Amino acid sequence: MKRITVFLVVLVVLLGAASWAYAVKLVVVGDAGHNLKPFDWYAQQFKEKFDVELEVIGVPFGELYEKEKMELIGQTGAYDVMIVYPKFLAEFAANGWLYPLDEFIAQLDPKMDDVTPGYRDFYCKYGGKIYALPYDGDILNLYYRKDLLENEEEKANFKAKYGYDLKVPETWEEFLDVAAFFTRKKGEKLAGQVLERDFYGTAYYGQKDQIFAWWGNIFASLGGVYFNEETMEPAINSEAGIKALEMMKTMHQYCPQDVLAYGYEELKDIFLEGDCFMVIQWPCVGKKGADPAQSKIVGKIGVSHVPGVRREDGTIYYRPLMPCGRVLAISAESRDPWKAYQVIRYLSVETSLDDVSTAETGLDPYRYSHFAHPEAYEMFTNVEDARIYLAGVQKNMEKGYPEMVLPGTVEYEETLGVEISRALSGEKTPKQALDDAAKMWSEILNRLGKENQKKMYQELVSGWRAAGLWE
Amino acid sequence: MKKRNVVALFFVLPVIIILLAISIFPLIYSFYLSLCQWDIGTGAARTFVGARNYLRLFTDSRLWNAMRNTGLELLFGVGTQFLLGLSLALLLNRVFRGRSLVVTLFLLPMMISPVVVGCIWKIIYHYQYGPLNFLLEKIRLSPVNWLGSSSTSIYSIILADIWEWTPFVMITLLAGLQAIPDELYEAAKVDGATRVSTFLWIVLPLLRPVIIIAVLIRVMDAFKIFDLVVLLTMGGPGQSSETIAFYNYLTGFKYFSMGYASSMTYFQLAIIVIIANIFLKSWKGREMA
Amino acid sequence: MKDHLRIPIFVGIFFLLALALSPFLWNFMTSFKDKGEYFTYPPVFIPRSFSGEHYLQGLKLGGSRGIRDSVIIAVTTTALSIALGSLAAYALARFRIGGENLAFWILSVRMMPPIASVLPLFLFYRSLRWLDTYQAIILTHLLMNLPFAVWMMKGFFEELPVELEEAAEVDGCGRLGAFLRIALPLVAPGLVATALFCFMFSWNEFLFALILGRSRVVPVTVNIAGLIGGHEILWAEISAVSIVASIPIIVIAIVLQRYLVRGLTLGAVKG
Repeated sequence: MKRITVFLVVLVVLLGAASWAYAVKLVVVGDAGHNLKPFDWYAQQFKEKFDVELEVIGVPFGELYEKEKMELIGQTGAYDVMIVYPKFLAEFAANGWLYPLDEFIAQLDPKMDDVTPGYRDFYCKYGGKIYALPYDGDILNLYYRKDLLENEEEKANFKAKYGYDLKVPETWEEFLDVAAFFTRKKGEKLAGQVLERDFYGTAYYGQKDQIFAWWGNIFASLGGVYFNEETMEPAINSEAGIKALEMMKTMHQYCPQDVLAYGYEELKDIFLEGDCFMVIQWPCVGKKGADPAQSKIVGKIGVSHVPGVRREDGTIYYRPLMPCGRVLAISAESRDPWKAYQVIRYLSVETSLDDVSTAETGLDPYRYSHFAHPEAYEMFTNVEDARIYLAGVQKNMEKGYPEMVLPGTVEYEETLGVEISRALSGEKTPKQALDDAAKMWSEILNRLGKENQKKMYQELVSGWRAAGLWE
Repeated sequence: MKKRNVVALFFVLPVIIILLAISIFPLIYSFYLSLCQWDIGTGAARTFVGARNYLRLFTDSRLWNAMRNTGLELLFGVGTQFLLGLSLALLLNRVFRGRSLVVTLFLLPMMISPVVVGCIWKIIYHYQYGPLNFLLEKIRLSPVNWLGSSSTSIYSIILADIWEWTPFVMITLLAGLQAIPDELYEAAKVDGATRVSTFLWIVLPLLRPVIIIAVLIRVMDAFKIFDLVVLLTMGGPGQSSETIAFYNYLTGFKYFSMGYASSMTYFQLAIIVIIANIFLKSWKGREMA
Repeated sequence: MKDHLRIPIFVGIFFLLALALSPFLWNFMTSFKDKGEYFTYPPVFIPRSFSGEHYLQGLKLGGSRGIRDSVIIAVTTTALSIALGSLAAYALARFRIGGENLAFWILSVRMMPPIASVLPLFLFYRSLRWLDTYQAIILTHLLMNLPFAVWMMKGFFEELPVELEEAAEVDGCGRLGAFLRIALPLVAPGLVATALFCFMFSWNEFLFALILGRSRVVPVTVNIAGLIGGHEILWAEISAVSIVASIPIIVIAIVLQRYLVRGLTLGAVKG
């Protein structure tokens, strides 16, 4: 008996000594690939500054949500730091799976004032508390062919045909005109050259997992909202929704034939191959467009805000969607939330400019300080191109419109995406499709608990409104 | 006689124990879930709803659309795999130089993991940049909108599946053919049977158990076609290329409607069991005739 | 073989082989392509350079670990499935033990689509503290491979004329002896095919590997899927890892090929 006691005491002492001597080990999880690189780059700093060692787990991008959620449901305590797509933040936070950061923020400032409003107020907060720090600022931007837009011959032809000057489209009507104008068949001329293959006015993300965002750009600028906050009736089949879908249908004629199967890669490549006049895409496309290895249109790319609607006072009201994006959160079961916070704050504040401005990662700018340093963006051959790019992205960032972030968001977005896709493939009229989508949203609401969802939605909207980002 | 049965029991016992140990808990638990409404993480609590999930299946048009697509896969996909696989097995069931090499080469499509098969075909099928349309144009045929049209997308997925899995049927049937003792062929030859009648009356009946299992396995796996759908079309345009596995995954692991997803699984299980029974019965029936 | 059929048959085989191989070849070529060569016009059939860069990169990004984990899982699963499965199959084929019902129950385990089992199994293994271990994934793969092995082997055994083993039993071999010495060698092609497929099913399985593994056990399918990023698909690395990952199976196929398609006369000699 005595021996056992002695043994136990020794064991406890040894373990205590061991845990004191070794750094705290924290487990990081995120979507596998280049966006996890910074966790490795600064391993030395984390060790020296915060006495932390990181184990980084990469999960396939498409399955990150279900993998994280399974571990959270099972309360396995497997993760400390989690890369979360913002649309799941509210759900994870509402279930108590994430650690609220407010007390830490009071102690160690993560400089949230420097963050663009979309990421500061839509994507890091839930229920008045901050649960995450931004890491990757995804937003949709309009990319167009600067060289074609400035071509004298094209300009003259456009003016003759439409009665106004050819310029970067600012409204959706102009967008459609320009798209129609630049859609050319094989054998026709483009900027004086005879085309060997078809040239397309535009293209969009047609796969139904994200298609809602391309519709959403139009919908939001027309003043659309997801739900009526008072009654929680789905508002996607409003006039704005139907008009947006009708415009998309017109747009569809100027797109490649298989655009409904387009994901990120196809949409990027049709533009960078020089076969398409303009696309609405994520910020990384601008960076890739400056790389001669993967872009045939280096130096010919213009970046602007996504089109909008001209209001009575003459201003353009535009609301680009912010699909995807990444924020850093801490699991409620983390072994050491304070240390985990120090790590994510370091990445979100200290090193973030380096991380978003290198070609090594896929991270995109989200802080005003990121937009103020065009010279840091090494992928651009000259600072001027970087400045054009950043100015365009910043314009969008300031007006960003959030994805649906309620629990159940995948189901909402997915059913909407299916119906949008069905309208565009000609199976249904836009009105029919959106009415059906709204009906499905009502069903989902009832199933998930309408009152509960209403409460959450109102809470979210009031937060957004307080930030001046919701009408 | 009794001793023989005891020995036989020892032969099967390990399999029974392992299968029971791993499958019994998931089976009971998921069946219980299929009687509940449980949308995990949405704030709604788990409630027992009896057969409501099963009733919901019948009114879910998206499910029936997915079932239709899976049916098309069974009909055209598995059907083609069987016919092509059987023909290839018969062609290769003869001695010629380099046969082992040919057989090994035919195995290659299966050796790539399904995720990668999706990646390969995604590029191959691309309308503007894919090699397939490029070659079609070279031989003066018009390009096909493989993935972006609701009328073709499911067939493009089926085609890729045929490419991947025909070798499975081929190898299985070839192994079956190889196990048929030569004496039978010789005896048939002595009796003056033609090649066709030898095949119909001797080879086919002997091969039947292997055919049944090869086709059954393909039927089961046709209910699991998932990676190809996700990578090639995400089930689009609209719902035109959604398979039942895709929809089931969506409900289970994207919507996390675990109760409904479980009932959908049991629904599929019932259908597969019925198909398997029909298959096995027809085989036994013929055996008696 | 009649002579006038010979040439069309070989042309047919060659044509089908070309069809079967061209996407594989495309995959092989893709493994050498660089950015800008994936989606472009005209399509790139022969890449600009043949450097092993993407292979190194792909393996560095976890491919080599993934292959190691997959080998451990697939070999164990296959060995268990074949050893236990063929014994059971023999009992089912020859003694009709448990009648049709037992055999059907075994098969029905494989019929269950996986979605509903994932969460229960996850919770099950969590309670055993087996998450992120080899045994969890191996056992789960047995659910799919054991029934497969049992039924495949059952089919092959049923094909055999029973007289051969009865003769052996009379000659003094026991039941096990008749099984090991007579029945098993005769179904060798079937055994090899079954083993190959068991290996492949386990090698290619994704969903359970994803959910039950975490950081210590990450099979190659999960690794490859990890190369499909949200805004960056590493096409060349994906192809490269898939080529390397297919090597073990190809090696096994080559080693076993003489059993897979042995000469037609061999059966007669054995009989």
